[in-house]
Amino acid sequence: MAQHNTHKEGTVVLMVGTKRGLFLLTSADRERWEIQGPMLKGRRIFNAALDQRSGRRLFAAENGDFFGTYLRFSDDFGETWQEPERGIQFPEDSGEKLNNIWVIEPGRASEPGTVYVGVDPASLWVSNDNGLNWELNAGLANHPTRETWQPGAGGLCLHTIVPDPSNASRMWIGISAVGCMRTDDGGQSWKFANKNTRAGFLPDPYPEYGQCIHRFIQHPTQPDTLYQQNHCGIYRTNNAGDDWIDIQHNLPSEFGFPIALDVHNPDTVYTIVEDPESRNNVDKQFVVYRTNDGGEQWERLTRGLPEGNEVVLGVLRHGMTTDTQDPCGVYVGTNTGQLFASRDRGDSWNLIADFLPSIYSVRTALLV
Amino acid sequence: METASTIPEVTVYFPGALREKVGNQRTVLARGRTIREVIDQLEKDFPGLRFSLCYETGEVRVFVNIFVERQHIRYLQGLDTPVSPGANIHIFQSVAGG
Repeated sequence: MAQHNTHKEGTVVLMVGTKRGLFLLTSADRERWEIQGPMLKGRRIFNAALDQRSGRRLFAAENGDFFGTYLRFSDDFGETWQEPERGIQFPEDSGEKLNNIWVIEPGRASEPGTVYVGVDPASLWVSNDNGLNWELNAGLANHPTRETWQPGAGGLCLHTIVPDPSNASRMWIGISAVGCMRTDDGGQSWKFANKNTRAGFLPDPYPEYGQCIHRFIQHPTQPDTLYQQNHCGIYRTNNAGDDWIDIQHNLPSEFGFPIALDVHNPDTVYTIVEDPESRNNVDKQFVVYRTNDGGEQWERLTRGLPEGNEVVLGVLRHGMTTDTQDPCGVYVGTNTGQLFASRDRGDSWNLIADFLPSIYSVRTALLV
Repeated sequence: METASTIPEVTVYFPGALREKVGNQRTVLARGRTIREVIDQLEKDFPGLRFSLCYETGEVRVFVNIFVERQHIRYLQGLDTPVSPGANIHIFQSVAGG
């Protein structure tokens, strides 16, 4: 296994969480990729993240089938793994038990050492010492509506965490199937932020909560702007989630999981929509969609992506990401083990890995 | 007065997946009058082990099987199953998953 000190500054790292372990892909030029793994072999790795705020700590969500679910971290790029001193375990008197860890999100640059984790049953966990000790966010755990929350097909999962870098007291989270929630007081209290997003599977299609939000991301320079991919549509908010604007427009389906954007051209957003019943490409062409105008119009990106009656590909909510290079790289991992990459903002694609286990997540980092 | 020596000592056999948590040992000696007490003792000796065997709510994980000799505790008294001195306790993971 290559040591981290053999990777130079400027290396792009892909962290691919799969049903049977974690894979790392590294490249200096985004053309030739070296693949390492599987690490944590045989384990269900829902998510991984590299925290470079002090050193290089690689976090991984190991969701166990038999002996429990653990957050693990490595300071040597996966050669060895450690467990927290006080890990993510619910208090005995809470009546809750940890099912899966869904997302790991290093905190803001202004809060070194702080890491956030979202789990099923929907809860937010926070560490302020680089992952050694974890605490349950009480504000969310004690939300007055919690008893009425209903799970999505994957469980009652807190799958998206967006700490606002411009405001240390503000953060958004996404829970299936509760919707988007926002705190403006550092996590002490949480309010719903679902106005104008549909829950077509409920008698009232526009409830205060109960939406099946799939994933959302924040505009890097307009902090009140976020983009959301939902079970029932794709949306943008310009006011921090106070309300949302439907931006499905010419997309062929309202259903999809992942969403990502180009940090150098933040009105450029990527999504992959699917047939809501079969949960794979809408027609025989596998397509990544791109908008360059914040969702007013979507174009099909297909060059280098497969087409055929036998092409049946699905991408999960964390299965697509972008890097911070210019032109940005876009990376897509399918639930059948294909990993596609573009180094030209999605204009063209290459298959950079195949025969991987089912891919749960793709995250990227640029080594500094 | 009950002393530690009057509490039954049993041998606990661990599956490969858990041996790292018990110092890479295949078997460990522990004292307890019931399976629950044996797990309590194991947790003292190997902090964090209980979470591998039981949920936070206390019950044994669904894919963890614990046998006293050849009997599954599910069909005895569960975690309150009594153990005799010298008993063999086997922990297995289920043949399950996909």
